[in-house]
Amino acid sequence: MPGLGARLGRGGATTTLASLAESDCIVIMGSNMAENHPVGFRFVVKARQRGARVIHVDPRFSRTSALADLHVPIRPGSDLVFLGALVNYVLNSERWNSDPFFREYVLHYTNASVIVSPDFRDTEDLAGVFSGYDPQQRWYDPSSWQYAGRVQPLEGERWPCRPRIEPERDPTLQHPNCALQVVKRHFARYTPEIVEQACGVPRDLFVEVAETILANSGRDRTTAFCYAVAWTQHTIGTQIISCCALLQLLLGNIGRPGGGILALRGHATIQGSTDIPTLFDLLPGYLKMPRAIPQHATLADYFAHERPATGLWYDMPKFLISLLKAWYGDAATPENDFAYELLPKIGGDYSFQSILTMMKDGIIKGLFVMGMNPAVGGQNARLARQALANLDWLVVRDVHEIETASFWYDAPEVRSGEVRPQDIKTEVFFLPAAIAAEKDGTFTNTHRLVQWHDKAVDPPGDARSEAHFVFHLGRRLKELYAGDDSPAGRQIAALTWDYPTVGPHQEPDLMAVAREVSGYRVSDGRPVAGFHELADDGSTACGCWIYSGIVTPEGEHRAKRRRGDDRASLDWGFAWPANRRILYNRASADPQGRPWSERKKWIWWDPEQQRWVGYDVPDFPATKPPDYQSPPDARGLDAHPGTAPFIMMLDGQGWLFVPLGLLDGPLPTHYEPWETPVTNPLYPEQPRSPVAPVFLRPDNPYHEIGDPRYPYVITTYRLTEHHTAGGMSRWVPWLAELQPAGFVEISPELARELGISTGDWVVVETARGCAEARALVTERVQPLVIAGRTVHVIGMPWHFGFGGLATGGIANELAALVEDPNSLIHEAKSFTCTIRKGRLREEVGR
Amino acid sequence: MTEIRRWQHRRAPGEPVSAETRDSYYGLPVIHGPHWRWSIVFYFVLGGLAGGSAVLAAAARLVGGHWARPIVRVGRYLAFLAVLPGPLLLIIDLGRPERFHHMLRVVKLRSPMSLGVWGLIGFTATAFLNALQQAAEDGWLGQRNPAAHFLRRLPARILAAASTLPAFFLAGYTGVLLGATAVPLWARNALRLGPLFLCSALSSAAAMLALLVGRGPGNARARHALERVEQVALLGELVLLEAVQRGSGPVVGRPLSNGLEGWAYAGTRLSAGVALGLHIVTKMLPRRLRPPLRLVASLVALGGAFLLRAAMIFGGRRSAEDPAATFAITRRPEDPARQAR
Amino acid sequence: MSRESTLVGRTRARPGAFGFLTDTTLCIGCKACEVACKQWNQLPMDDFGFTGMSYDNTGDLGATTWRHVAFIERVADREGRRPTRLQPFQSNWLMLSDVCKHCVNAGCMEACPTGAIIRTEFDTVVIQQDICNGCGYCVPACPFGVPALSPLDGKAHKCTLCYDRLKDGLEPACSKACPTDAIQFGPVHALMDRAKARVAELRAQGVEAQIYGDEALGGTGGIGGLNAFFILTAPPEVYNLPAAPELPQRRVLPAFLTTALAALALGLATLVTFWRSKEVRHD
Ligand SMILES: Nc1nc2c(c(=O)[nH]1)N[C@H]1C(S)=C(S)[C@@H](COP(=O)(O)OP(=O)(O)OC[C@H]3O[C@@H](n4cnc5c(=O)[nH]c(N)nc54)[C@H](O)[C@@H]3O)O[C@H]1N2
Ligand SMILES: Nc1nc2c(c(=O)[nH]1)N[C@H]1C(S)=C(S)[C@@H](COP(=O)(O)OP(=O)(O)OC[C@H]3O[C@@H](n4cnc5c(=O)[nH]c(N)nc54)[C@H](O)[C@@H]3O)O[C@H]1N2
Ligand code: SF4
Ligand code: SF4
Ligand code: SF4
Ligand code: SF4
Ligand code: SF4
Ligand SMILES: [Mo]
Repeated sequence: MPGLGARLGRGGATTTLASLAESDCIVIMGSNMAENHPVGFRFVVKARQRGARVIHVDPRFSRTSALADLHVPIRPGSDLVFLGALVNYVLNSERWNSDPFFREYVLHYTNASVIVSPDFRDTEDLAGVFSGYDPQQRWYDPSSWQYAGRVQPLEGERWPCRPRIEPERDPTLQHPNCALQVVKRHFARYTPEIVEQACGVPRDLFVEVAETILANSGRDRTTAFCYAVAWTQHTIGTQIISCCALLQLLLGNIGRPGGGILALRGHATIQGSTDIPTLFDLLPGYLKMPRAIPQHATLADYFAHERPATGLWYDMPKFLISLLKAWYGDAATPENDFAYELLPKIGGDYSFQSILTMMKDGIIKGLFVMGMNPAVGGQNARLARQALANLDWLVVRDVHEIETASFWYDAPEVRSGEVRPQDIKTEVFFLPAAIAAEKDGTFTNTHRLVQWHDKAVDPPGDARSEAHFVFHLGRRLKELYAGDDSPAGRQIAALTWDYPTVGPHQEPDLMAVAREVSGYRVSDGRPVAGFHELADDGSTACGCWIYSGIVTPEGEHRAKRRRGDDRASLDWGFAWPANRRILYNRASADPQGRPWSERKKWIWWDPEQQRWVGYDVPDFPATKPPDYQSPPDARGLDAHPGTAPFIMMLDGQGWLFVPLGLLDGPLPTHYEPWETPVTNPLYPEQPRSPVAPVFLRPDNPYHEIGDPRYPYVITTYRLTEHHTAGGMSRWVPWLAELQPAGFVEISPELARELGISTGDWVVVETARGCAEARALVTERVQPLVIAGRTVHVIGMPWHFGFGGLATGGIANELAALVEDPNSLIHEAKSFTCTIRKGRLREEVGR
Repeated sequence: MTEIRRWQHRRAPGEPVSAETRDSYYGLPVIHGPHWRWSIVFYFVLGGLAGGSAVLAAAARLVGGHWARPIVRVGRYLAFLAVLPGPLLLIIDLGRPERFHHMLRVVKLRSPMSLGVWGLIGFTATAFLNALQQAAEDGWLGQRNPAAHFLRRLPARILAAASTLPAFFLAGYTGVLLGATAVPLWARNALRLGPLFLCSALSSAAAMLALLVGRGPGNARARHALERVEQVALLGELVLLEAVQRGSGPVVGRPLSNGLEGWAYAGTRLSAGVALGLHIVTKMLPRRLRPPLRLVASLVALGGAFLLRAAMIFGGRRSAEDPAATFAITRRPEDPARQAR
Repeated sequence: MSRESTLVGRTRARPGAFGFLTDTTLCIGCKACEVACKQWNQLPMDDFGFTGMSYDNTGDLGATTWRHVAFIERVADREGRRPTRLQPFQSNWLMLSDVCKHCVNAGCMEACPTGAIIRTEFDTVVIQQDICNGCGYCVPACPFGVPALSPLDGKAHKCTLCYDRLKDGLEPACSKACPTDAIQFGPVHALMDRAKARVAELRAQGVEAQIYGDEALGGTGGIGGLNAFFILTAPPEVYNLPAAPELPQRRVLPAFLTTALAALALGLATLVTFWRSKEVRHD
């Protein structure tokens, strides 16, 4: 998400799945869309039927490739070279330089013209690192990445904010330090030749992809990109995504129908779980979680450091204070800074991989696992199980007795006698959970669309919803802590926790929860119409400002609406923010507010009505004319001109150069995966990410670059037939029979070398562990020629585990803990391994 | 848990899975074969025997003189006794035996199985009447019994004539039944199977009757007549066996040329040939050697009838398993693969 | 060729017949149809285990699998080179969702001696489970290998074209679940028109598409067309489908005729033999 957020303002998909049907070219890269988002893929098929070109860039020939026009096999972990080369190709192409559309779009809608600080040094100058690098801390000081320009502190604010920045600009885009020129220089070495060397993609194939994308971008045509976790799960995942955003900005594809970037999300409501987050470092609506640092000591301090002077985030106090009101109710008053003090402040990295090590090291003693199966899905699965085994207590709420709940008597090391159940001290509580069909609720799917679902059947036996569990747990905690005056006690006592309950099992009333999320006037409880009605004086409460308005003032839950049309289908569910379907849609019109073309019309300025009209809700102040110029002391959105589509950004523009927000540099740079058989052809001195968080510990060993013991690249992925760590599929007979056993896909070339036939047992091995599987010898996997040598790629679906009906070796036994610095997502898409024919132990059978 | 359970194929290291779909879909059958096994083989053999016996008994009644009485007598009894296990064999073969009577809901002229059921009933009825009359004539039912009296009074010739149609039907419909399926071996030979089964029915019935009429000199003429018929039928059978093998071609006919079914088919031809040969050869041999050889010939013919049904049923099952066989009979005329064959 | 083009799309489907158009060119092999069918009809799992046949682990249609997705990998050329430029729509990894064809003249139905198999008011072919006695004759009588006897209840089973859903005005479960509309349900004649248009469109884009299940291909030999038909891009055999199957019952009358002739011949021979035996000298 930071990949899109840093350049465009929001981490969510910029467009809708349905809009793909209007694309002229769809590039699916970093995702196996047909297999993992089959319902969304219907719109790709539709687009194809209307004549669009479909390009799939993937190491394997998958079910997505089968429906594509071009399949580009690429070495896992080399996507940034490919994208960087596309940027370079576009910038030097005849078409991009001659068609006025691109110049107009880039000049007005991006920060191409800003001048970057003269202190900035590129990776090209510093052998693979940017200026500000601290090799001891493995950390960047971004001060040299800033804009050159005037910094103007703002006075007279109720809540403090950061100073306003007036960057220097060169509208001719010729200044050597203007963002466009910096970008151009940075990517100059990303050539088709390098693509061939690093990605294993033949030059002419790369050129064909580039030409196709270029030909299908412009005034009258749009290209869309779809990606998922094959971009995120790399140590440079964020930068891969951000490079795509950069490319799409250059091509003028953002904010327009059939264009954009579709971040294909995972679990049914994974988007919802980042919006109203289960993440440790965010508050609802992408407000930063306060940290235990002086800069966040008080509410005013927090705003002084986090609140920008310009753009929509200027309204941050309205959102945060309304949130505090929603959470702490009467305990949140203007006098006590709305109980800001009660908000927990985080003191470190509590991302999943970190807490695994903390559990193993005995720092964390108890764990709730609700809707997750870390014994299979967590990297370095053996370490994950050791971590679980070192807890005092573990609560697993799931629909089946997943590996995370049964590891203590069923894990491979227990079955082999290496570990005895009686030596595992963890007390495991397994609680049955109700699944989606057994409860009411909403899903927020890939394109930020919130849809309500009704309960179809009662959950069996003691199974209860998450809402039920969490609500009653909270209720009991409040009883337990009543009268406790410690900080923890006060935090719990102050929480508003008064949802009415319904039904025989006293489920909390989800409509009440929705009303809180959507926001209301504190005085009379009337729902607000949207976040524009939120106030920073404590008169409104809102649980998640981006969902504000999902409950109408009349009390209707808009996620229940089901009226579609051929366009934006505004009456089908509710898409945050404010039911906007295509984000940044101001860019669908030219700077003067006219549609770029009849074919790609979406919203436009109507001079008669003096407002923005069209098919969608404008992602822009509805009455701000295109020729609006901001007065010098304007704040918030008023500080943006009428041509600035990216309302979340400081300057309202898409960022080609990112002065802040990314920890690994202002420009996307290719670093090899942490484990790789080859060196980095672009930055031999700095082959791997200089800032990726690594876990240097004996139970998490890494392979050296080019380690001959682990010569093959392995990538892990999903199958349509199963769902993630398998809790919802491996136990279900109808799904289990479709893919009944773990397997690896290997090319005939490698199979020949190793004497492996389809159906044989094989063992895949890394320094972390080994996994057993069946071999599927298929031409869909192919060796690639990287810098003159053959690199074999092994593919392994990672769904399998030791429980359920469909079983198989756990792929994550092989993977290591290592992360992207921005998103803290692991690198499961590319590491090295070895493989041999045979079994782990002779006939391990059950 | 994860064994390869079905259709495990020989796979060579490094061979991609695409290699298994060059000529067929992983070698999987295109059609579903029948589930029929031994009970159906026995039913077919017995049905043939019963039908053949009834035909011989009727013919003997119609044109045979006093010398043919043993044929009539034994033939009528045999026809009835041989058909008796038929319904049972069929019922135990059903997936839901308790619903056997659902067969009686309909008559379907295009379903040989439906016709077969009615034919079987018709045959059993006439065979029963014939056997009953024979029993009455033989005094098994007592002399004074009015029923026996009545039975004896029935027009025997008409009764005999009435039994021939269901008899021929029972002996031959099974071939049509097999032919009216998608099983390549049977479909290819649809026109030949009925006649083939008829020949075999007649030869086996003749052989059986020859064995049963007794070896006394009084029966010599009858035995001789039966052997004549047997020889004619065996000749026809041999011709048809050859026609089936040739007509099947190398692919569809594969089960007839190798494997257990192949052995059975070869055994069928051999026994038909041997039986025929023996009958001819015996004529040239010293009289005292003749009876045992005739006995052997009849036994061989009977065994051949059994082998034939087994070879055809199990051979059919095997051809249904073979995708190449199905494709051989279902390729379009203009398909080069079909022309090449 | 001209003969071909007049034949494309010809079916003897009765007016008002309902069926499926399964367009493989749109299929992504997600198996949602297979699962939806099992779920709706509450069919048990097959439990074959890992077959190694690409992504097909259920093998074929059977008593407990009424929709089955076949996977055929045709990725590399003879030299092992992988393609990059692919023909439009599904290519190189072929997937076909197979199902009962609801033949216009159905071999299974004609064979059934109990009348358990009926043609419904939607012109679909359905096995009535309360009638079937498991004789198994429909099994080899189907030219497409569709019905099968279940070891669980001894009866024959196959796709019902969701008769229960159609009765309630619902679309069949499989087509409802198909995310790409590769399975389309509707009146056969309308679907056939759509298929013809689609094939023409595909051919214009250089895809060798054809309709499987009209009277020229698949619905041949007296079958008269298939109410559940397909658009294929490879010879039918590749998908394990017979190109020119025949209605087995077409052979019933001729076969009875030859049998009757044989009976006549053998009967005469017997009569003659017995007749002549009168004169034959005693040996
Ligand atoms: N049926 C089904 N659907 C699902 C899920 C499921 O488990 N089952 N999971 C859901 C979840 S949680 C998520 S996050 C999404 C994930 O959706 P995807 O990201 O599509 O999922 P993956 O299968 O993990 O990876 C996709 C593809 O990436 C390729 N790949 C591997 N490494 C690289 C690389 O370096 N570069 C490129 N370009 N491609 C690479 C793999 O070959 C694979 O085909 O799917 C969601 N949808
Ligand atoms: N090697 C490798 N590892 C990976 C990935 C990869 O591509 N490669 N992908 C990663 C990604 S993107 C993801 S999202 C994770 C997923 O990994 P996990 O989140 O650990 O795995 P899931 O199987 O999705 O776990 C969800 C569990 O919730 C249960 N469940 C379903 N509904 C409910 C409910 O309503 N309430 C409760 N309490 N439980 C419910 C399910 O039965 C299931 O067991 O794995 C990651 N791990
Ligand atoms: S499982 Fe649900 S979320 Fe995934 S593709 Fe199917 S409908 Fe969409
Ligand atoms: S495909 Fe087979 S089972 Fe289906 S209707 Fe036709 S003959 Fe009957
Ligand atoms: S098995 Fe059932 S449906 Fe099939 S032919 Fe026999 S009675 Fe009819
Ligand atoms: S129509 Fe119904 S019964 Fe037939 S395959 Fe589809 S879901 Fe199954
Ligand atoms: S549901 Fe549709 S796309 Fe999926 S396998 Fe079946 S026919 Fe193909
Ligand atoms: Mo995910």
